Amino acid sequence: MKGAILKIENSIEKTIIEFLKKGLDKKLFDALLIPVKVPAGDSYAWVLVQDKALLEDANPLPPVMSVQGAKALSSITRRGKSNKKIAAIMRPCEIRASIELSKLQQIDLENICLVSIDCPGALPLKDYLEDTKKGIDTFKKVIKEWGNESVRPICQMCDKSVGLSIQSDLHIGILGAKNNEIYLIPSSQKGKSILEEIGIPAEESTDNWEKKTKEFVETRKKNRKKAQSTLSEKVMGLDNLLETFSNCINCHNCQSVCPICYCRQCYFESEKMKLSSDDYLIRAESKGILRFLPDTLLFHIGRMTHMSLSCVGCGACEDACPMSIKVAQIFSMVGDKSQKVFNYTPGKSIEEQLPLKVYEEDEFHEVEKP
Amino acid sequence: MEKEFTPKIVGFLCNWCSYAGADLAGTSKLKMPPSLAVIRVMCSSRVDPVLVLRAFLRGADGVLIAGCHPGDCHYEKGNYYARRRFALLKSVVETLELDSERLQLSWVSASEGPRFQQVVTEFTEKLKKLGPNPMQEKTSM
Repeated sequence: MKGAILKIENSIEKTIIEFLKKGLDKKLFDALLIPVKVPAGDSYAWVLVQDKALLEDANPLPPVMSVQGAKALSSITRRGKSNKKIAAIMRPCEIRASIELSKLQQIDLENICLVSIDCPGALPLKDYLEDTKKGIDTFKKVIKEWGNESVRPICQMCDKSVGLSIQSDLHIGILGAKNNEIYLIPSSQKGKSILEEIGIPAEESTDNWEKKTKEFVETRKKNRKKAQSTLSEKVMGLDNLLETFSNCINCHNCQSVCPICYCRQCYFESEKMKLSSDDYLIRAESKGILRFLPDTLLFHIGRMTHMSLSCVGCGACEDACPMSIKVAQIFSMVGDKSQKVFNYTPGKSIEEQLPLKVYEEDEFHEVEKP
Repeated sequence: MEKEFTPKIVGFLCNWCSYAGADLAGTSKLKMPPSLAVIRVMCSSRVDPVLVLRAFLRGADGVLIAGCHPGDCHYEKGNYYARRRFALLKSVVETLELDSERLQLSWVSASEGPRFQQVVTEFTEKLKKLGPNPMQEKTSM
């Protein structure tokens, strides 16, 4: 694998922005989709921007993930392709969600250039909002040290946030780069020609990045295994599940921020979930007691069957949960298992078909009862 | 004397094969345990896992999905999709360490009255051994 090397001037963020500005100058893309600090200064919003001068507050790797990037990209292209070229700068989990959404026909990737970046994780939204100044400092340390425990638990166990598995057009490598450098690694023809047009063809070796990212992924894989086995003990089984989700207030935040949950009419918000008082009274009578709002467990397990095959483990749900239920960790653990059944990795490749859209005639006989 | 436990099974039967098979079993006066509540669906692939979960979490002792044999689907390939959906559902339920034995997928054609009788009888026997679905009693309070 070959890449280009950029010298860092001021900071990694500024260097990337300068590079993107060159792309705008050369008309390689007409607009950027990038997180920009909101005027109040305490969070980030996705901004579609054509004017270079407005990039002062942009940050390609903000400390938090306020809105999942794939959701932003879907808002732009869900009715059809963009007629202008857009470069979208995202975290790897947002890239993966974008690929899933393009398979679900909620994103049109034509004329979109996906730019990814080595990601050490994001800070929990709540921690960050409590003290943004401290958050910014913490995140600086996170980028410097990698493996810092202040990132979200779901990020601590993410094994796809760096390295060769990321399917963007152009990847920005931070890990393994020399102190004052970053890598630009093209992973498609689109990415390759962007680097050529800007005059920094991918000719340098990226061996060190490959080596470091591989090591990092291995560590994360171990974290994942360990964290999931601890979590499994606490969450699995009927009693544990009831207890885990008993805090749920049915706000459906986890569903509405989920990039994969795109349905216009969600089953759980449909009339089908609204039953007569008789129905509830019968249930209350047979159980002795019936909790309201009802059917929280159905909502969560039902959602697992709907989105777990495409779950990229981005953690948006957990950030959005007002009751601090470990939804992302639980969902991604269930996701890992069901993805394994179909030998499917969401966001890995645009060609790989969604498991429920295809079939083999001779398969899964173990689930049939003869 | 304690009354013998008769499981309650919710059955999603496809209109073209299994529902007709159930009908044949009935008109042929084949004896079956009165444990199955039938919901007719146009195709086994129409059964969203959520529908199965809804019955299961409400306390159905078992849930049966039955459709045309692979290769015989009225819509050519619906049952292949159904099998994948069911494999996903099974995986989720197993991962959550819930009782996936209570969920069953079987193929019954329109001419297989006796087979339908056998499927219902065997599933009922199996559920009798498993006992009532604990979900009937459980709630998070």
